[in-house]
Amino acid sequence: MKKFSQLAIPYIIWAALMIIVPMFLITLYSFTEHGNSIISFSFTFDHYIKFFSDPDFLLILWRSFGIAVKTTVICLLLGYPLAYFIARSAERLQNILVLVITVPTWINMLVRTYAWIGLLSEGGLFSQILGIFGIEEVEILYTEAAVLIGMVYNFLPFMVLQINTSLCKMDQSLLNASADLGANPVQTFLKVTLPLSLPGVINGITLVFLPAISSFFIPKLLGGGQYFLIGNLIENQFITVGEWNFGSAISMIMAAVMMLLMMLVRNLERKNQGGKEED
Amino acid sequence: MKKGKRTFGKILMILSIVFFYLPIVYMIVFSFNEGKSLTTFTGFSLKWYQHMLESRDMMSALYTTFSVAILATVISTIVGTISAIGLSKSKKVVRDLVEQVNNFPIMNPEIVTAIGFMLLFITFKIERGYITMLLAHIAFCIPYVMLSVMPKVRSLDPNLADAAMDLGATPWVALTKVIVPQITPGIISGALIAFTMSIDDFIISYFVTGGGVKNLSIMVYTMSKRINPSINAVSTLVVVIITIALVVVNVIPMITANRPKNTEIKKRTFVIPSVCAVAAVAVVALVFGVNREPSDLPYAGEELYLYLPGEYISDDMLAAFEEETGAMVVVENFDSNEAMYIKVSNGEPYDIIIPSDYMIERLMEEDYLQKLNPELLTNFGELNEVVKSPVFDPENEYSVSYFWGTVGIVYDKTVVAMEDLEEQGYGIFLNEKYKGDIYLYDSERDSFMMALKDLGYSMNTESTEELQAAYEWLVQCVTTMDPEIVTDEIIDNMAQGRKALGLCYSGDAAYIMSENENMGFYQPEEGTNQWFDSMVIPKNAEHVELAHEFMNFLCSYDAAYENSSYVGYTSPNYQVMLDLSAEGGDYEGINAYLPRTDYEMDEVFRFNADTKKLIGNLWSKVKIAASNAD
Amino acid sequence: MERKKLIEFRNIAKSFDKQITLKGINLDIYENEFVTLLGPSGCGKTTLLRILGGFLEADEGTVIFNGEDITSKPPYERELNTVFQKYALFPHLSVYENIAFGLKIKKMSKDVIDQKVMKMLKLIGLEGYENKNTTLLSGGQQQRVAIARALVNEPKVLLLDEPLAALDLKLRKEMQYELKRIQQEVGITFIFVTHDQEEALTMSDKIVVMNGGEIQQVGTPEEIYNEPANRFVANFIGESNILPGVMVDDYKVRFDDIDFDCVDFGFKKNEGVDVVLRPEDIDIVPVGQGKMTGEVLSTLFKGVHYEIIVETVPGTSVTVDMRVIHNHEVTSENGKEKINASNFYVDLEDVEKLDDKEIIARSNAMAWSTENDEYISIASIEYDIKPELGSYPVVFSTANGTAVERRVFVVNQPVIKNEKANEAVMAFNFFTTVDEIRESQTLDVDIKTWASAQGWKLSDENQSVDISVDYDFDPAEIKEGVYKITFWTPGREFKIHTTDYSEVGQEVGLTFFPEDIHVMSRMVF
Repeated sequence: MKKFSQLAIPYIIWAALMIIVPMFLITLYSFTEHGNSIISFSFTFDHYIKFFSDPDFLLILWRSFGIAVKTTVICLLLGYPLAYFIARSAERLQNILVLVITVPTWINMLVRTYAWIGLLSEGGLFSQILGIFGIEEVEILYTEAAVLIGMVYNFLPFMVLQINTSLCKMDQSLLNASADLGANPVQTFLKVTLPLSLPGVINGITLVFLPAISSFFIPKLLGGGQYFLIGNLIENQFITVGEWNFGSAISMIMAAVMMLLMMLVRNLERKNQGGKEED
Repeated sequence: MKKGKRTFGKILMILSIVFFYLPIVYMIVFSFNEGKSLTTFTGFSLKWYQHMLESRDMMSALYTTFSVAILATVISTIVGTISAIGLSKSKKVVRDLVEQVNNFPIMNPEIVTAIGFMLLFITFKIERGYITMLLAHIAFCIPYVMLSVMPKVRSLDPNLADAAMDLGATPWVALTKVIVPQITPGIISGALIAFTMSIDDFIISYFVTGGGVKNLSIMVYTMSKRINPSINAVSTLVVVIITIALVVVNVIPMITANRPKNTEIKKRTFVIPSVCAVAAVAVVALVFGVNREPSDLPYAGEELYLYLPGEYISDDMLAAFEEETGAMVVVENFDSNEAMYIKVSNGEPYDIIIPSDYMIERLMEEDYLQKLNPELLTNFGELNEVVKSPVFDPENEYSVSYFWGTVGIVYDKTVVAMEDLEEQGYGIFLNEKYKGDIYLYDSERDSFMMALKDLGYSMNTESTEELQAAYEWLVQCVTTMDPEIVTDEIIDNMAQGRKALGLCYSGDAAYIMSENENMGFYQPEEGTNQWFDSMVIPKNAEHVELAHEFMNFLCSYDAAYENSSYVGYTSPNYQVMLDLSAEGGDYEGINAYLPRTDYEMDEVFRFNADTKKLIGNLWSKVKIAASNAD
Repeated sequence: MERKKLIEFRNIAKSFDKQITLKGINLDIYENEFVTLLGPSGCGKTTLLRILGGFLEADEGTVIFNGEDITSKPPYERELNTVFQKYALFPHLSVYENIAFGLKIKKMSKDVIDQKVMKMLKLIGLEGYENKNTTLLSGGQQQRVAIARALVNEPKVLLLDEPLAALDLKLRKEMQYELKRIQQEVGITFIFVTHDQEEALTMSDKIVVMNGGEIQQVGTPEEIYNEPANRFVANFIGESNILPGVMVDDYKVRFDDIDFDCVDFGFKKNEGVDVVLRPEDIDIVPVGQGKMTGEVLSTLFKGVHYEIIVETVPGTSVTVDMRVIHNHEVTSENGKEKINASNFYVDLEDVEKLDDKEIIARSNAMAWSTENDEYISIASIEYDIKPELGSYPVVFSTANGTAVERRVFVVNQPVIKNEKANEAVMAFNFFTTVDEIRESQTLDVDIKTWASAQGWKLSDENQSVDISVDYDFDPAEIKEGVYKITFWTPGREFKIHTTDYSEVGQEVGLTFFPEDIHVMSRMVF
């Protein structure tokens, strides 16, 4: 119907303005010389060279990557069994459990992160509990552990919900079929359930990894000022240093790294999707 | 074996629930704490709630959060749904292209999207504030709505709309009566995602806001450096609102379940937005109910935009000013002078800014400030001679002092030997005896000041060698001493005696010492930074007369007394300073409240664009080194 | 035939949510059989199969497999394999990997797996498809892969759960032969679940007809078709004319008021039975040459044959007026009681039989308390009705004196007689109200009561005949006015499959052989 297709026109204009133009601006800034607020048109690769020639910056990128990987792995290890347990519960309970996992995400992320400060700080509940076990004077706040806890806390629900959805979508008869063909529950899990839940796992990984690598308020709130990740570096360039061009370049680098990773993961997923149509 | 698995699952589930809800419960519990501590519960009290209700900042943040979330949800759901329907009937090329474009904000790190919006608004000179925040929220919500509506639209019978129109329906009727009801589940889940995204958002809001407009996230982010149990109170309020909404959404269908089925479904659809709307209206009523007072005062209805560092002003003093003038003060906080400079140089309009000495010099040099009218500042004479005619503005043409002081070392008298301090001065920060027991202040100027002074150089040096030496001094400190680099957290943490040593502003030190008598304040003999934070009026200020009124008000004894007593920084009003430090005053016997003056080794920071940039870059690298040293 | 029992179901019972789906099933299945579980959906056949597969646990009873009790064995330890309803092929595995799944679980060597899979692919005719993605195969191909995946494990029994349901008609026919061929080739027991009687008849060695969680009949396709054990089986398998009859004596059955010779015996004398006549067993012959006569009602060309409906006995009907009038109950002076009744018609001959009870019933008289809606008995009825045409007043009143007056119309109501069908029907015009119709729970029965509608055999006035009611108003939307109500009895119709054409309206004779009459015990529900 011709008439209905016109309904999309306003959004196409909007998307051009609100998605394409900003992306274009970041690109432009990252390739031009000095200029906040006014765009200059003298092209340069300096910002990229500056980033890649300084081992400190590369190290920050590497460490951000590292903590994002750690967060993702922990979320996966905790999230999969959790999602599996929920998916195997009775339907009523299942709905309640999904709600239980979802509700915290409706409470503001910063508020939830802030709540951890009291829990983790010296003399807080955690060190008191540790004190009962004879471990004393462990300050978790302002360490990498605190940042990891904060990230896992914030992003675990995404992982659980994604995996749970893919597990629930799975046809029960496939599991019956596997048992019918002689696979015991462990074999069924490894050969059928796990591979079939892979799309959910990959979505979960994406949803955890993406915010984890670029987060800057969790490290700032729980890691302290000396805990510096790529997100903090970008924030710093824009808010404090005022090097927007360099900041844009870092953003571009991070976006490019993410794109590359996502493509890699998607490729992996496609390969796994049974269809070996090519050969 | 089956049983074992169940138990394992159950234990895991219970532990996860504890993990997810413990912080929330903890927060709720401590919102009722009488004391300020986040770790020990000293008694039940509602004072933080009272504090929250009195804080216009918090209430308006709450209002902004919910109103933006609801508006963004409604608008993005409608636009997203209509666009998804439109796209499904468009050519495949167009459809694929739009889907690809939509993937950008979804698949990109949020900070990149946020920066994109910020650059967009700045490039097109759109004043940042509520509207830009709303626009940005709508923009990042629509792709999610479309993502959840699209599959439903695609699974629709393509002849459905044609069939409806064949039966005489207009395209509009076909859309609303035939297509939309079919895809309602997708629309609802899209709306829920949009609402969650919007209410949870920090990064994008943080970059696109302006003019003092804050949502909850931004408020928590800017206020979280010092312990403020009101944050717990406001968070508890959010939890309560969400819980009520949840209960209503889940219980109403149960009550109406007896009725015929189809009305039930419809009800549920309407319940979610309407519950949120009711909550928002309640909040709005709360906010404006508190503030609406008819007034015939001289500045009634005017707003004074004030831009200053966080936790740096007394609310009571502000209230007194508002009562006297009828104006309303909109307060926006900055993290650092540099962050302030970026906003001001981008032309964001403020009426009064309170930067530090060197930054005032820079703003003057770059012609961002307007000259003051001395006739309107009748109370100027009450000020301390020290703050009159500072080096950066000797004629007091542009600035009126707000607070002043020095930088020194706060130390725990029970841990740190006085001889070490006297012998080593700033060098104590390299003394491995105190490894892991020190705080550095996250300020490039003061950190370099410390290093330069210890090395015997001027803190205003322009020599790159000297700066390089200072940089190495600092790198040595962060790599060998395992310091924590903090900002205002230092105040509460030192007050609780968490570490032995910290570099601190004299005003903060005064507060720390008043809270903890074991703490001392030492100003090394190598000299220190004597600093002045002063009020200035930018060129593009919109309420110049009111700004003068405010400056003059602050010079007066009562206002200055209230402000200094509350913040703990040394008052520029001479009599106030004397009274507060005299017997019976708030800061009796606290040397940090009376900073050192007229000492030849002390300096005031001067602005030099080149060294500033160099110091900035070097400090970033110090922090990176510190971070990488972990 | 000395064949080994492979599977024994002993007293299997199962219920879901307190709904009984299996009521104590006992069934033996032998080696090398093609057994079909046949029945309508919800009859319990799939449940039984799933219990055998191990996917469901029976509430009671045991399953014995090859002499061993496997009731509590998990599915992966059972030596049988299943072809699932929607095939349940693993979407993440290729055709080859799907088939090899069970073999890999058994840790067979790669060579052996390769060999076996290839053999299977050949058996199902999908050579060269081994690397295809299963989701891209057609329904028939997926079906074959599912069969191969099960068979490659060399099970003793293959369970097939409605495997052909998702295929189109042509493919379904093809797969029926294919399945039979595969079964014969591999020589194992197939247990096949279907609701399609044609499938069952085509493929099975043995059919188990199930309904309502019980086995109705077990037998070869021929037995099931020719000698259905009861009305349900007869109805479910093939098309049939089922009519009520009476076993007059051994080898003698009466239906349609005619005695016929038959081959059945062993019933009690004059026992009521169901008689089955298959449409293809009846022949149409000229009037006078048949055992019965009738009129052709319709002729439908069905491709190979005509389906002809012949009415041997016409039905009887009578139409009366229903007057729906305004509510006109009477309220007592203190407002605590209400009383109501309707005018009614009565036949001249029946005036004698009228008594208080009859009048209350016919007039639908009732009284009730306005406070608690409970009924109050009608204490007295005053009337004086003479056996003459005319109308007479009747006064109903309660013990408290609340009274209402109605009229009785004595009329000479004609009886509709149908000599051929040996029956007569009669009904009266009647009065009623909107509320009575709306509130009626069993409107058809009430209308019959209000109209005093009745039917009986002409030969024996005491033997009543069932009558049906027809009307064309919507009871929920009824308004005041006059409506036509028709009371009728059905005629006797026979469905006949024949290759000869007969014209509608033609009088024909029907004939059949004594051995074509199948007599069954009447089912008790």
